Amino acid sequence: MRVHAPVLRSGGRFLVAPLCLGIGVVAFATTAPEFLSTGNLQSIVAQMWILGLLAVGQMFAIASRGFDISVGATVALSSTIAALGANFFGLPGLFLGPLAGLGVGTLNGVLIGFVGVQPIVATLGMLVGVRGLSLLLTDDGQVVPLNDTATAARLAFDPVLGLPPAYWGAVAFVGLAAWILNRLAVGRRILMLGSNPDAVHLVGISYARTQIRAYQLCGFYAGLAGVLLTVRAGTGLPTEGTGMELQSIAAAVIGGTALSGGVARVSSVVLGAAFVQVLLTGLNLQGVSPFVAQIAVGLVIIGSGLLEYAVRYFAPVNSRSRT
Amino acid sequence: MTALTVPMKQSMKNRFIPPTSAWLTLAVFVLFALAVPRFATFGNIENVLRIASILCIVACGQAIVLILGGIEFSFGSSVALASIMTVLMLPDLGVAGGFAAGAGVILLVGALNGALIARFDLPPFLVTLGMLMAVAGFAATLAGGLPIDAPLTDAFTWPARGRVGGVPVPIIAAVLSLIALYGLLTHTHIGRLWYLVGANSEAARLSGIRVRLTIFAGYIVASGFCALASVILTSRVGSGQPGLAPNLPFETIAACAIGGIPLSGGQGRASQVLCGVLIIAMMNNAVVLLNLPVAYQQLMMAAVILGTVVLQRASAPIQVMWHLLARRGGSQ
Amino acid sequence: MTTYVAPVFEVQGVAKHYGATCALRDASLRLFPGRVHALLGENGAGKSTMVKIIVGAIQHEQGATTIDGSAVRFRSVQEAIAAGIIPIYQHLSLFPHLSIIENLSAFSYGSTRSLSAKSATISRQEAETWLKAVGLDLDPETPVEALSLGERQLVEIARGLGQKCKVLVLDEPTAALTQEEAERLFGVVRTLCSQQTAVLFISHKFDEIDALADDVTVLRDGRTVIDGEPRANLTRTDLVRAMLGEAVDIAIRDLPPPGDVTVRASRLQLHANSSPFDVAVRAGEIVGLAGLVGSGVLELASALAGARSAVSGTLKVGERAIPLGDRGRAVAAGIGYVPSDRHAEGLFPMLTALQNASASIIKSFSTHGILHREVESESILPWLQRLKLHPFQPDLQAGNFSGGNQQKLLISRSLSLPQLRALIVLEPTRGVDIAARETIHEAIIEAARNGAAVVLASSDLDEVMALSHRILVVRHGNVECELPWGAGRAALMQSLAGRAAA
Repeated sequence: MRVHAPVLRSGGRFLVAPLCLGIGVVAFATTAPEFLSTGNLQSIVAQMWILGLLAVGQMFAIASRGFDISVGATVALSSTIAALGANFFGLPGLFLGPLAGLGVGTLNGVLIGFVGVQPIVATLGMLVGVRGLSLLLTDDGQVVPLNDTATAARLAFDPVLGLPPAYWGAVAFVGLAAWILNRLAVGRRILMLGSNPDAVHLVGISYARTQIRAYQLCGFYAGLAGVLLTVRAGTGLPTEGTGMELQSIAAAVIGGTALSGGVARVSSVVLGAAFVQVLLTGLNLQGVSPFVAQIAVGLVIIGSGLLEYAVRYFAPVNSRSRT
Repeated sequence: MTALTVPMKQSMKNRFIPPTSAWLTLAVFVLFALAVPRFATFGNIENVLRIASILCIVACGQAIVLILGGIEFSFGSSVALASIMTVLMLPDLGVAGGFAAGAGVILLVGALNGALIARFDLPPFLVTLGMLMAVAGFAATLAGGLPIDAPLTDAFTWPARGRVGGVPVPIIAAVLSLIALYGLLTHTHIGRLWYLVGANSEAARLSGIRVRLTIFAGYIVASGFCALASVILTSRVGSGQPGLAPNLPFETIAACAIGGIPLSGGQGRASQVLCGVLIIAMMNNAVVLLNLPVAYQQLMMAAVILGTVVLQRASAPIQVMWHLLARRGGSQ
Repeated sequence: MTTYVAPVFEVQGVAKHYGATCALRDASLRLFPGRVHALLGENGAGKSTMVKIIVGAIQHEQGATTIDGSAVRFRSVQEAIAAGIIPIYQHLSLFPHLSIIENLSAFSYGSTRSLSAKSATISRQEAETWLKAVGLDLDPETPVEALSLGERQLVEIARGLGQKCKVLVLDEPTAALTQEEAERLFGVVRTLCSQQTAVLFISHKFDEIDALADDVTVLRDGRTVIDGEPRANLTRTDLVRAMLGEAVDIAIRDLPPPGDVTVRASRLQLHANSSPFDVAVRAGEIVGLAGLVGSGVLELASALAGARSAVSGTLKVGERAIPLGDRGRAVAAGIGYVPSDRHAEGLFPMLTALQNASASIIKSFSTHGILHREVESESILPWLQRLKLHPFQPDLQAGNFSGGNQQKLLISRSLSLPQLRALIVLEPTRGVDIAARETIHEAIIEAARNGAAVVLASSDLDEVMALSHRILVVRHGNVECELPWGAGRAALMQSLAGRAAA
């Protein structure tokens, strides 16, 4: 029985995120001792989960060989709708946020999978439209304060078993994403679509429907990120989320999700999000210009592409030996 | 059967005029001219054009990359870096030298993108996205995160506010860019190579074309347009700004898509860039004139982007339907 | 004929068009339980269209299909699978990033109604049994991208064998297999046959057909020319003749006298396991390359054009050496090339006819980077006129032309090279109507008359025999033998089929 070397192949890509994260943490811990203080770590963890949820959603879109740049706008919309919902229906109304995200994702999926619009154009159009919708709902971008700020604060800031309930929720939903990706037929179909889009119909899988599911998941997770944002801030923020679309793509790519589709791992994507967040927070703290972080993130993205090239070049897949 | 097919296709082409971007632009103009007060005045139109000029120039560069089958995000931060570079270099190099330094930085970024994409076959999306972030960070680091003001001499503000023969300089620059794009795409060797490589890179290779060099050149020329725009933009804002125009890549992609350039490569014309840019500019202007909330502006923009691309995707079925109807009508 | 056994699956007189081209005109096929049925035909004969209709990937326009005597019309692959028709594809339809066990379960991921992937995934034991059936001893958790091409093909076969199957469709299953792997597969197929499965077997290799097939159907130009004859009644030469067409009156052309050697390939080795050989083509000479699919004939031709690298060897045009695989230098040295896959390698469908024809010589009408479009029209339009482009609309997008006219564009791309020293033409008239074929042949001869060294690789033997000064027969990646002008059809057929032909 032949043993394969996963590290060289698809496995290698999943090492980028933990490696980068490790280097980042060690570097900051040695140069800025207060980096490891509880307060700082807590704030990193808190901020990380918003990006983490977004990146996990983005991962589904990328795994199907697309991407979604409307997620930042979806965060703002769902944050707003969640706040409006909570004020109207009480706490369960928060879940209108993810539903809004699901709606945005469905539209994206229909445009891409069914009409055949390129992901960049479809989700760009949705980005603008969703931002407009958030403004429309809030009288040109007025924040929507929650009526029950006390509960929101408890959810977001009072630790239960070491972590505030809202973050337990985020962890649970990230776990759910791993379950969907690894255990559910739909996750398998999304990976198959990304791995070989021409072959899915040959084994009897619907291309359009699978594409729609991938973007629905992406929208839904963006909606969850919006709710988390609302709970943390105590208000619905209709103009937040700018720049998050690119950060989420960065985190997903650093987390080993292949832009060529078919490869994804939730835990790595979360580590990728953690890495991006550590850079942003850690450098901020160090008094070094926080913007060096952006340089690092950018270089890591390009570096991950080069890594893929190097793997292709130095450890060619067997098919090259075709005679 | 075989002999009949081609003439049938032709007759279809002649009879059916699809909703082109030019018609759409005209329709938008007429609509606004009738519905929006003060829209069709000379001063307002000049204003629209001046505001649209930067988008137009950068969209010219984006169009080249899209024709090559690629995509360019890094414009969003390279203009910021250029503005900071310009302002920092002003004391040493003077106004012209400062602008040249800014433009040079953008060309450098473009060359780096092109080299990575052409040499290592990396996805343009990944490379230019990474570059967007890295350059944004570099720009902000250089500026210390805050805008740096420039001494507003006449020479410095001329690119944005000057006039030549009564026409604002940015409008002249935009028109020249469009002419340059038109010339490049239709009357130069390299322009033709871009189309060939974007349409079918394997066929291009087998035709003896140096595909990598062609791609590399495309990204550099595209960044040249961006460099021109950065001069005007820096001059307009009068400072070096780390967050100068973050949405520029998206706006340019939207303009090209609205104009009807398919993002699959091998197709695109200068006139389509012009139409896309004009539609966006007219809409933004009408919204301001009507005093509409930003929300409506964005919803309208989304409707235009998605509406046009869906229409473009759907135009094939529409053509077939038209063909069937025409044939039925003819046979009776 | 002792007892009549009803066919388990029958195709009667089906037709299928793709746009203007007719892939199948009147094709029939009957598959019987427990028998291996070989489907033969050259590229473009309609084999793959036939297979797609059988497995439900496309729908036919005329004719009927029946399963167990009752008419069916599959609207999707899923329906065909549900009816027990299991396809194993020539172009790998595996998902490289997923593990073997997940790939083996692909069909059930498509059909499952349950949410869980696990319930649709086959058990590890089952996977191991399936793998063992094709002789693979691999961990089912291995990702497919870590496998060799041959192993992947076996996984694909294992996936098909694991389904409940009435008819197994094997589309060139051995293309990527070693001898040993192929024999293992044949063992599996024989076992299945003994369990009354009907097998449709598509292959270009006569040895395999000898070893495996009970019955043979041959398609040519979308028609069935041999309909389910027992293999034992046919010789190899019969099969080759049926595939390539009956001897028609060959209009032997008036060929120009050859001059000095122009193109010379020395010690050219195409594959790691083929041996090196030399090829020399003289100015004004037309050298035909003949070989069945998979023989390496197309590889040899494209290597001569500098379009493809090889294991080793040198390529020279006159005194000028051209690195193998450097198409840019080859064009500069005056080697024209018409690739075999018109759409993937040749055409720029959204560009105009004129732009397609001028792609190789843009440099010649640009000065200082400026394109002189009037010079472009002046130098290209005469070629399009001479090749009778129809409709004569040089500004129409190339994708709108018929196949024959698209081919004319590719040929004018080469002919218009300012100093055409060599012309390498692959399958110049595949899927091309009679009139265009005539025009293209005339253009090739004229190129030779004007002093170009011409290499013509084609699966159309009439074409090769009519146009070539001499014919090189390619088998197993080597030039097997050379036939002089007028050697005759029988001799050519025999050398193509191999020595075993009697």
